[in-house]
Amino acid sequence: MPMRIGRAGHDIDGVFTWALEPSAPFAFEPGQFNMLYAHGVGEVPISISGDPNDFSSLHHTIRVVGNVTEALAALEAGDEVGVRGPFGSTWPLAEASGQDVLFVAGGLGLAPLRPAILSVLTRRSEFGQVTIIYGARSPTDILFRAELERWRGRFDVTLEAIVDHSGTDWYGPVGVVTRLVAEAEIEPEYCVAMLCGPEIMMRFTARELEQRGLEPSQIWVSLERSMKCGVGLCGHCQLGGTFVCKDGPVYRYDRVASKLLLRGL
Amino acid sequence: MEDLESILQKHSFLADLRPEHVKLIVGCAKNLRFRPGEFLAREGQKEACMYLIRRGTVAIETHAPNGETICIETLMPGDVLGISWVTPATAHFDCRARDTVIAFSLDHDCLDRKMREDAALGYAITSRLLDNTYQRLSRLRLQQLDVYR
Repeated sequence: MPMRIGRAGHDIDGVFTWALEPSAPFAFEPGQFNMLYAHGVGEVPISISGDPNDFSSLHHTIRVVGNVTEALAALEAGDEVGVRGPFGSTWPLAEASGQDVLFVAGGLGLAPLRPAILSVLTRRSEFGQVTIIYGARSPTDILFRAELERWRGRFDVTLEAIVDHSGTDWYGPVGVVTRLVAEAEIEPEYCVAMLCGPEIMMRFTARELEQRGLEPSQIWVSLERSMKCGVGLCGHCQLGGTFVCKDGPVYRYDRVASKLLLRGL
Repeated sequence: MEDLESILQKHSFLADLRPEHVKLIVGCAKNLRFRPGEFLAREGQKEACMYLIRRGTVAIETHAPNGETICIETLMPGDVLGISWVTPATAHFDCRARDTVIAFSLDHDCLDRKMREDAALGYAITSRLLDNTYQRLSRLRLQQLDVYR
């Protein structure tokens, strides 16, 4: 369906966020994605980064990496874009109810986790301790910085951010995100962890969490593969016996861990 | 008031070290305080001790030709600074206190002598340093992959 771009904002270098205006209320679950179509150029899968309780606007955070996203980046507020969706599996918020929740995001991986974080914060009393760990390349690459600072200011959330390297203008920790995972105050028995970021980062983070005592079945990851149809027909995004567009992008880690170690999958 | 021996024993680097070994190390240790911005070590200078960080954050830094300071990693309470300084060595990086840092310094001549005299102590310290080095190496490998690019 065609949708008008209500607001278009630049986040960090090469990354922008749209607030699309659906003509009818648009419902989705945290973790799902839409196929966005740049007229005459092509279609790309983009995670939904907005609040699932806001049915009047649909947020997408997009990194410019190829022809289609370049064409999308050239569009402005008021222009129209094609939207198919929502598609895919969702973050396990029902399973996490009553448990401590640990979100670990790396780089642009914060965008697909944002709807889950917003949902948890909206229903805050349903969950135990909420911890958000965010890793970025450098201080200027921190996505949704103002919002992270707001979340960090809450008394009911623990948020730590770390950057791979910095100058002297950053007072937070410097190093890799697994460092903060190793230090996080978690009770392994009562914790559900949701990870999103580059696949290598998620593998290392999952390994660290297992060392902390979490079972792989308590860890959830969001995967990316080349997607075309969005409904599990074309096979472009096949991962072993599953299709990332239909059975993913959110997977329980024990169901995909062995596949992530296979080269070329 | 706690004495140096009991505080030393609480540092995670020395956790589970035999009490008689902690007693041996006490003679090599000093409890030091660094003001924010103060350097614990400077790149290119000989270092006479390693540090067990108790409080505060230490930035491991280098600088680009244009003078820009680049922070490579920060060390936190429980970390060891100067894993290569158990023997006399030259610091490869600047190590600057980000905030008030409290740390034990362990004099390398003293520690080296006691490790040679008591092989069990030598093994205990060396295996801890090896574990620490491996953890640091693992983190640096991941950092080197530059996964967010």
